[in-house]
Formats: sequence, structure tokens, C-alpha cells
Amino acid sequence: MMEFATVHSILTVILFVGFVAFVIWAYSKKRKKDFDEAANLVFDDEPESKEQKTKRESDHE
Amino acid sequence: MSQTKSLNVEYNYSVVRLFAITTVLWGIVGMVVGVLLAAQLYWPALNFDIPWLTYSRLRPLHTNAVIFAFGTSALFATCYYVVQRTCQTRLFAEKLAMFTFWGWQLVIVAAAITLPMGMSQSKEYAELEWPIDILITLVWVSFAIVFFGTLVKRKTSHIYVANWFYGGFIITVAALHIVNSMVVPLNLFKSYSIYAGAVDAMVQWWYGHNAVGFLLTAGFLGMMYYFVPKQAGRPVYSYRLSIVHFWALIALYIWAGPHHLHYTALPDWTQSLGMVMSIVLFVPSWGGMINGIMTLSGAWHKLKTDPILRFLIVSLSFYGMSTFEGPMMAIKSVNALSHYTDWTIGHVHSGALGWVAMISIGAMYHLIPVVYNKVGMYSTKLINTHFWLHTIGVVLYIVAMWISGIMQGMMWRAVNTDGTLTYSFVQSLEASMPFYLMRFIGGVFVVVGMLIMAYNVYKTVRSKDEVAHAVPVTA
Repeated sequence: MMEFATVHSILTVILFVGFVAFVIWAYSKKRKKDFDEAANLVFDDEPESKEQKTKRESDHE
Repeated sequence: MSQTKSLNVEYNYSVVRLFAITTVLWGIVGMVVGVLLAAQLYWPALNFDIPWLTYSRLRPLHTNAVIFAFGTSALFATCYYVVQRTCQTRLFAEKLAMFTFWGWQLVIVAAAITLPMGMSQSKEYAELEWPIDILITLVWVSFAIVFFGTLVKRKTSHIYVANWFYGGFIITVAALHIVNSMVVPLNLFKSYSIYAGAVDAMVQWWYGHNAVGFLLTAGFLGMMYYFVPKQAGRPVYSYRLSIVHFWALIALYIWAGPHHLHYTALPDWTQSLGMVMSIVLFVPSWGGMINGIMTLSGAWHKLKTDPILRFLIVSLSFYGMSTFEGPMMAIKSVNALSHYTDWTIGHVHSGALGWVAMISIGAMYHLIPVVYNKVGMYSTKLINTHFWLHTIGVVLYIVAMWISGIMQGMMWRAVNTDGTLTYSFVQSLEASMPFYLMRFIGGVFVVVGMLIMAYNVYKTVRSKDEVAHAVPVTA
């Protein structure tokens, strides 16, 4: 039987590693296109001209 | 993303309209009660020796009115609005959504009757007695069904980040409310908590601080992630940061509660844990704040002409300010000075009037013309007037409380060489009086701003300036 403190120390390390992995996933190059599309979801709830849309997508990052 | 996809959807705005109007109405009621309380602290005779009007009974009425009537109505309105639009679908279970509106109004009316009568569970922000608590639970579960049902029937593949914040807020508030409201009823109007002693205090502040973290923060961040990009006409600064922001914020907030119980019977390690987690919380809070403000990068000039955007962006500045102040006040040695003083009241109001109220007001100015199918608000000039009245009011309020609070902390801890206290409590109270007047004046500014908003909203709803066609023809 492991001690309470040991179990929680291991859990903390796992959570930390998990968080770092998650940040790497979020910032990976592969995800960029999907996230750019997702960020523009707020503008897809009503129609707008094509030019406005293309202009905006290149704005950030 | 196809442009035509959303065109066949007709959003359900009837429940959004109702909640939007009650946001303004309850905002005025809650803030007027607040101003009355501020006046009572300066002119104590203003309770007229009537039990219902005493500070002790009106104070919970004020907090419940602004948090649960004003703030939560704004959350309901924007949540139903945003989830439909970002999922490009109509609300799920529309009758249930209507029930959440009337059920919530019943909760508010019940609160407005029972609190002045002195009925209370004596838990801060959870004062309402158990029958009302059960009604809250029913409304909240219905809210969850409507919200998550709408997510399930969404037409988009991705769930937009605002909905993650709204979803986190709905689930956590349900858990907080149910756990903290566990009581043994004595009769219909009186009950006792099932928890005892330090455990009761910890459960209460686990609830209390997460009401701040999930209701007053996560929910309003959901609002921020939709209305800031929308009003600025630019996507959020970094969508990746928004995802990291969400998970980091909800994972950390839940631990911060013990900082309300420094130097109490709570075990020392719990206090230290709460302090450390509160300090770490600064990171995701500022991550989110920067993400919101930087959405404007390259378009700062819009702040000059658009008072709605100004409401939204200044709300984020107040958010940044209070989420810096909060972790600082959670440090035990700082807390030894600040706790039980007006500094705490100032901190709460920079969060509540600065962040929560300003982002809600901005969102309402954006959303009300849309849901009433109008071209825009009746008067942009009046929005601008409201902005300045509100900002000046909040600044007066929090500066007064900073000075008064730090002064109180210093006076209470001052000791003479023989170890006796230098000042009596009444001496510190007398020293605070000018700042209580200053706070009252700040409060009046805020209420006048809200009345102007009510007039502007009334004129907008009544206006004949309808959008030519709600459903565009490009399809």
C-alpha cells in the first residue's frame, strides 16, 4: 500500500505532464487550420460579403 | 465554412428577449438597493426603524438581486443567444427554456419576499431557504437540458469556445448549489446545514468562491468570447490560448475557496493550499484577459467610435485589475490587513460593477437590437453617456473602498507601546465616513447610468427602424 502523500505526488506529476502535453497539442502546427476556422464560427451565424471574410481570416497569427 | 448554412435557421429569440429585459430591470432594482445600503451606512436613520429595511436584511437582498437576478439573467439571455448562433441551430426544448425564465423569475420574487422578512440560511450568497433552493435546482437542471440539448443538435462540427465556458459554468453551479444547500428542514421556513463547524465553513467557501469563479467568471468569459470578437468584427486573438485558458481556469478555480478562511479554525495546510492555488490562478485569468483585449490589436481605433466595444474592453481591464488584486489579497499576510475591511468590498465591486456589469451591459447593447430585429440601439450617444457615468461611478466606489479599507486595516492593527489598541472600532468607523459618502455618490452614478440604459432600451424596442429582412436572401 502506497502512502497517501506518494499517491498524490504521482497524481500531481501526471496532471502536470498531461497539461504540458495538452498545451503542445493546442499549439501544434497541425491544429492551426482547424482553430482558425473555429475562431471564425462567430461570424458564420449570419451572412456577410466574401471580401470581409477573407480579410478577417488573415488577421491574426 | 459555408456561408449559406445558417440562413435556413430561425433562432428562438423570445426567451432571449425576456431575459434581456429582466437583466435591465433587475439590474436597476439590485443597484438601487445597493445605493440605499450605501446611504444607510452614511445616514443610519435611513432604515426608519423598520425591520424589513434594516441593513442586515437588505444586504442579502442586494447581493442576491445583483448576482442572481441581474447577472444570471444576463447569463441566461446571452447563453441562449450564443449557443443558438454558434451552433447554427434553434434551441432544444423551447418550452423548457420558457420554464427556466418563469421559474427563475419566481425564485427572484420569492427571494425579494423572504429575505426582507429575515428568512435566511445564513450562508453568504446562499441565503435562500430550502424550498426556494429546490426550485433553483429544478430551473438549473432544465437550463442544462436546454443548453446541452442544443449543443447535441448543433449543425457545426466544432463546439465554439464560448459554449465550453457556458457549459462549465452550468455544470459547476449545479454541483455547488446542491452540495452547499444540503440542509435538515425544521419547517417550511427554517432549516439547518447538514455540515458542522469548520467543515461547514469550508463547504460554504468552496461554494462561495466558485460562485465567483464559475458563475461570475466562467459564465461571463463565455459572454466575452462571443461578444468581443463579434462587436470588434475580428476573430479572437488566439483560439489556442482560449482552449488552454478554459482548462487551466476551471482546473484551478475550484481550489481557491480556503482563502476566505485565513487565520480561522480551518487547518493551516488547507489555508496555505488555498493561498497557493489562488496565486497560480492569476496566470489563466490574465491569459484570458489578454486574449480578449488583444482581439482588438490592429483595430484599436474602433474604441473611439464604438461605446459598446468600450464597455466590453474596459470590463476586461477591470477583470485584469481584480484578478491581480484577488491573488494578492489571498496571500495570508496581505489578508491579515485586508480581511474584514472595506478593501474586500472594493475588490468585490471592481469585479462585480467593473467586470460583470460592464460586460453584461455591453452584451445587452449588442444583442437587444438583434433580437428585436432593429437596425441598432436607439441612441449611441446615450450608450456613451452610460459608459462614462458607469466608469466614473465604479472608480469613485473602488477608490473610496481602497482608502477606507487600508486605513481600517492599519488602525485596527495599531498598538501602543504597552500593547493596548491605539484606536477603538468607533474611531476607525468615524475615519471611514467621508469614504462612505464617496461610495454612495459612485453608486448614484451607476444607477443613473442604468436608468439611461432602460430609457434607451425602451426606445429601441419601440422604434420603427426594423431590419428589412431578418432572414437574408442570398441562399
